[in-house]
Order: sequence, then C-alpha cells, then structure tokens
Amino acid sequence: MNWENILEFARGPFFQVALLVFVAGMAYRLVRVLALGWKPDRVKAKGSRVGGVAVSFLKGIIIWPFVPWVKNTFSRNPVIYLAGGLFHLGLFVVIFLGTAHMLVWKSLLGIGWFTLPLPIVDWLAAGAIVAMIALFINRLVNPVLKLLTGPAEWLNWLIVFLPMVTGYIMTHHLWLEYDTLFALHMLAVDVLLIWIPMSRISHFMFYFFAKAIHGSDFGKRAVTP
Amino acid sequence: MEKSQTAVNTFVKETGAWIAAQLEACTRCGMCAEACHFYQGTGNPEYAPVWKIELLRRAYEQRFTLSGKFKLALGLEKAVTDADLTHWSEIDYYACTMCNKCSMVCPMGINLGSMIHDVRTGLSNAQAVPADLHAAVEKQENEGSPLGVTDAVFKQRIEWVADEWEIELPVDVKGADTLVVFSSIEVMKFPSNLAAIAKIMNAAGEKWTISTKGREVVNFGFYEGNEELTVLFASRVFDAAKELGVKRVMVTECGHAYDALRWSAANFMQVPAGIEVTHIAGVLGEFVKSGRIKLKPGAYDNDGAITFHDACKIQRRGSHIQEPRDILNILAPKSFKEMTPNKEEAICCGGGGGVIAIKDADPIRYAAFELKIDQIKKANAKTVAMVCSNCRLQFTDSVQHFNLDVKVAGLSQMVADALVEK
Ligand code: HEM
Ligand code: HEM
Ligand code: SF4
Ligand code: SF4
Repeated sequence: MNWENILEFARGPFFQVALLVFVAGMAYRLVRVLALGWKPDRVKAKGSRVGGVAVSFLKGIIIWPFVPWVKNTFSRNPVIYLAGGLFHLGLFVVIFLGTAHMLVWKSLLGIGWFTLPLPIVDWLAAGAIVAMIALFINRLVNPVLKLLTGPAEWLNWLIVFLPMVTGYIMTHHLWLEYDTLFALHMLAVDVLLIWIPMSRISHFMFYFFAKAIHGSDFGKRAVTP
Repeated sequence: MEKSQTAVNTFVKETGAWIAAQLEACTRCGMCAEACHFYQGTGNPEYAPVWKIELLRRAYEQRFTLSGKFKLALGLEKAVTDADLTHWSEIDYYACTMCNKCSMVCPMGINLGSMIHDVRTGLSNAQAVPADLHAAVEKQENEGSPLGVTDAVFKQRIEWVADEWEIELPVDVKGADTLVVFSSIEVMKFPSNLAAIAKIMNAAGEKWTISTKGREVVNFGFYEGNEELTVLFASRVFDAAKELGVKRVMVTECGHAYDALRWSAANFMQVPAGIEVTHIAGVLGEFVKSGRIKLKPGAYDNDGAITFHDACKIQRRGSHIQEPRDILNILAPKSFKEMTPNKEEAICCGGGGGVIAIKDADPIRYAAFELKIDQIKKANAKTVAMVCSNCRLQFTDSVQHFNLDVKVAGLSQMVADALVEK
C-alpha cells in the first residue's frame, strides 16, 4: 500500500461513505430533535414575531456576533470574538471561495461559482489556523472554558484543525510529497465529515433554530433582539 | 423515587424540540459568562449561564442522543445525582435573576433565561429549593402573600394608606375598567407607592379598582419554578378580574409578575379572554401622551443627575423602554442621564428572580450590585429611578449596605409628586 492508493481510497470510497454518513447523520439529528414536538406560543404578541426573527438573523449574519463593539462583553473576553470571528471567516472563504474547493462543490452540485485569488484565500487560511491556536489556548486558560471543555470539545478542535493544516501545508508544498499531503488532507476531511453529525460541530444547523426562537421571543415582546 | 429521578423526568418532559434545538446549538464557547452580573461580580465560573443549564443538557443528551448515551456508557459523563441537585440548586437559585441578558450576548441566541426557569422547575419538583425561598412560596399559598399580607393585614393597610395620604382607593368595584394589583413589597415596604398610583389613576379619571381577592401580584411560584402554584397564584388575579368584570389588569411596580401574567400565562394556563394585562410603566406613558395627566416640566431638574435603571422583566422582557424615558425627559430634561449599557442591554440589579428572598445569597447579590454601583458612578447620578419595586428593594438595601450617597426612587412616586392639578 502506498500513498497513491490511500489517496485514491480517501478521495473515492471513503469520501463517499463519509459524505453519506454526514448527510444521513445530520438528517437523523434534525428529525430526532423535531420529533420532540413543537408547542405553539399562545401568548398574544405585542410586536411582530416574524420581524423579530428577521432582525435576529440580520444581526446574527455570521459576522455580527463577532463584531467587537456591538456587545459590551467584548472587552472582557476579546480572544473569543476576534479569534472566533477570524476562524469562521477563514473557514467559510476557504471552503466556499477557494478554487480547489469550489471544484469539489461543482462536482457534487453541478454548479460552480466565482472564486477568490489564491493569495487572499491563502492568507485567510493562515489566519484561521492562527485563530484556532488562539482558541485552543483560550480554552486552556479561561476559567469558564476550562469548566465547559471535556474530551468532546478537544476532539472537535482537533478534527477541524487537521484538514486546515494539512490543506495549508499541501498548498505550500512543504515537507512531504504532494500526494502524501493530499491523502492526509482527504483522510482528515473524511474524518471531519463523519464527526460533524456526532458532535457539536453540527451547531451550524441548529444555529438557525436557536436564532429564530430568540428572534420570535423578542419580537413577541416588541423588544429588539 | 429518588429526587434526581424526579428532576430528570421533569427535564425530559419539558424538552420539546425548541429546547432541544437550543441545547444542540450551543458551542460551549463561554461567551454568555461575560454577560452575567453574577459571574462578573464574583468571577465564579460556575455562574456562567450555560453552566446553569448543565443538568438540563445532561438529562436531554443521556435520554435522547447517541453521543449522550455513549458518553454515559464510557463514564465520560455521569447521570444526574441527588448531590448534583443540591449543588445546582445553589447555582440556579442564588445566582440567577432570569434577566435573560445572557441571551442577548450568546452568538447562537440561545434563550438561556427561560431554560434556567425550566431547570428550576425540575429542582422544584425534586424539592431542591432553598428553604427560605420555599417558605415564602408556602406563605403565599396559605396566606395569600409571601410577605404575610393576609386579608386582614391588606384591609388594614389599605385603610391606613387612604387615611395617611388622604386619597381614595376604590376596593372591589364591579364594572371598573382597570384592576390594579399591587405587590406586597409595595404594600409592606413602599406603601406610599399605593398612594402615588392611586393619585395618578384618580387624576387621569381612570375607572379603577383594587380587589381583596386578587390582591397580590407577586408570583413566588414562578420564582421557584413550581408549575402548580404558579397557576394558582396567577388564577387568583385572573379570577378576581373576571369577577369584577374589568377590561384590563394593571401590574404595578413589579417585574416578575408582569412576565408571568402578560408574557407567559397563556402558555401554562387558560387565561380569560378579553382581559388585557398591562404594566404601570406602559399606563403612565399612555396617560402622559394622551394628556390625561399633566406633569410639571423640569420638576426634578435641581437635585443633580437622575438616571434610569431598566428592570429586566419590564424593559428587556417587557418592552416598556421608551415610556419611562419620555416621562423623565419631561420631569428632568436637563438632568436625566443614561447609564451604559442601557435599555434592552441593561445590567440587572441582581435582586430579582427570588434571589433577594434567599439569605445565603446575600454576598453574591451584593457582589452583583457592584456592577450597578460602577454604572451609577460613571453616570455621576445622584438619583436612580426605576419602575420595579423588587429592583427598588435591592437598590435600597444595597445602597445602605455599601453606604452610598444615592437616592432610590420609584417612577410612579416621582410622577405623582409632579402632577399638575387640573
Ligand atoms: C452558520 C454557520 C456557523 C455559525 C453561525 C457558527 C458559529 C459559531 C460560534 C458562535 C462559535 C463559538 C465561538 C467561537 O469559538 O468561535 C463557534 C465555534 C466553533 N465552530 Fe462554528 N459556526 C458555524 C459553522 C461552523 C462550521 C461549518 C464549522 C466546522 C466545520 C465550525 C466549527 C466550529 C468550531 C470547531 C468551534 C469551536 C471553536 C473552539 O474551540 O472554541 N463552525 N461557531
Ligand atoms: C471534499 C473535501 C475536500 C477536498 C477534495 C479538498 C481538496 C483540497 C485541495 C485540492 C486543496 C488545494 C491544494 C493546492 O492548492 O495545492 C485544498 C486546500 C485546502 N483545504 Fe481542502 N479539501 C476538502 C475539504 C476541506 C475542508 C473541509 C477544510 C477545512 C476544514 C479544508 C481546508 C483546506 C485548506 C485550509 C486548504 C489550503 C488553502 C490555502 O492555503 O489556500 N479542505 N483542499
Ligand atoms: S454563549 Fe451561547 S453558545 Fe456560547 S456557551 Fe453560552 S449558551 Fe452556549
Ligand atoms: S438570566 Fe441573567 S442572571 Fe441568569 S444567567 Fe443569564 S445573565 Fe445571569
């Protein structure tokens, strides 16, 4: 067995299995939660629930929670805002607007889109990696995070970190053969895909529910969420 | 059955999809900690809002999710025990006012305040409630009020107030438009508030009444998370309103009661149709705007800066953010100054949610209040106005404790004292 075979495996059957686990797993998680039943809110609204949801999402749109000056809590824990924001920004740009990844989407969905020039993607990838290291250290030292962090949280971090660094090293042709790195990158990606539905990385799906519930509750009370 | 089993059963029963989705959305990022005045005041990581729903999360995951079952089987996480209940009873009752500030800060928008209320329900069913808080609940069950305002005491208090301030307080008037329900904090500790509100209602020509049956607006069952008693206490008010045939119930300077009656009741009981629930803060705004009462402009402009404390249940959770400000801008256009942060982002006083009724919680209640002191000092305020008598109790007590040179004022009182006779 050599790296070429591993790469083939990781890009081929293993990737397909991982993708299947990811899709089926997320669907299972969603159904499982929704099956618990939704109790309608019977309280007469003062403001607009839908309006509240809209504002909640507008404020939440990916970047806003990380914009430092909108929350007075920033000064007390800046790392989580700055590093958390930079990490997610880098992540989204890399996986949606990097050329290599867009091509993956194209092969899966059949449609492609514009991509950003490599240097920009590359710098954001580097930023995301640095941010992840900052988040790691923050988890080690912040008293609240120490309390909240168990093996699952460390694994989340590691399993997102691995595709990041292998991708970055590969792009820069460092240390190992390109194929070796590509194989490692793909293995890491496959593991990530399988891990997401089993862990809190699935937060991106439930984010939309939580934000909507929040907005609706504030809208009902006619308060800006 | 073991206590912990009762609690877990309650958690499981309460966990509908909306709760589950929020528990799943949490990334355990810890940002909510910095929003909580109890964490900020003490630095105790266990007061992080997300940690206050830890038992709910564990119960949910171990019952409904594969990863939860897996962690349980591997011994990475333990089932909820009786010792846990005792431990979290202190965290959830001593160190949370259910002000929901944390949900404003959580990047996922998780409504932590209402979930902490659900945790309290589990603790209440398992009888893991701090003794003095529960004693107050029982007192309200048996005597009609947590502060011992029995029928006889109420009648006597009302007569005394009418006498002392020479004011008319209509009692049990059928066909009145508005049923005014005071909190026993006002009745016992701030009786001049009764006179002030009566004066305002009379001046506005409102057809109003008090009820001897629905005479307590405070709902200590809601503080405790006791579902049965919450309903009982709320129905005392609603039944009185039905009997008197009023169009609306007006909650006076009490926040928690407003949250219970106006924003939650329909979800846990049958509320009578056609009866609106309002708050004095909204009614004051309405009276001033429509010209039913007239205020002396600048009446409070000569006593140094005045600031306004936003109560979590009346402003952030109740939307009466603008009315008090409009009024203060008439009463003290030059000396009204905002604290920062304010309005829906305001910092809670630290006394609500039943916390002030728990003796052992005093040190952290004072610690949380230090944030408020800081805000007041930065605004350079000599007077702090507010529309919640529970906040007012916390303020008066803490101002004394810290020996501060700050006046604590109820807005109704300020309005009543600045009425222009027509
Ligand atoms: C709608 C999309 C998403 C939203 C709104 C979102 C939001 C958040 C927030 C608010 C946090 C906590 C703050 C922080 O630590 O940065 C977080 C943490 C995290 N997110 Fe996301 N996220 C999204 C998508 C993703 C995706 C797609 C991934 C990975 C594939 C991801 C991976 C992570 C990781 C690993 C953490 C934990 C970082 C730590 O150790 O503190 N997120 N996310
Ligand atoms: C189907 C999944 C994926 C495939 C086929 C794939 C493939 C690739 C390829 C071909 C490259 C470019 C190498 C080059 O330009 O020489 C790359 C780079 C990279 N990948 Fe992936 N990748 C996948 C998923 C992911 C995921 C999920 C992440 C992050 C969590 C990730 C992070 C990166 C990073 C950070 C780079 C380097 C970008 C740069 O520095 O410009 N990849 N990947
Ligand atoms: S801020 Fe929200 S997502 Fe972060 S730990 Fe607190 S509850 Fe969870
Ligand atoms: S509701 Fe208020 S008191 Fe309770 S945890 Fe959240 S911020 Fe703290």
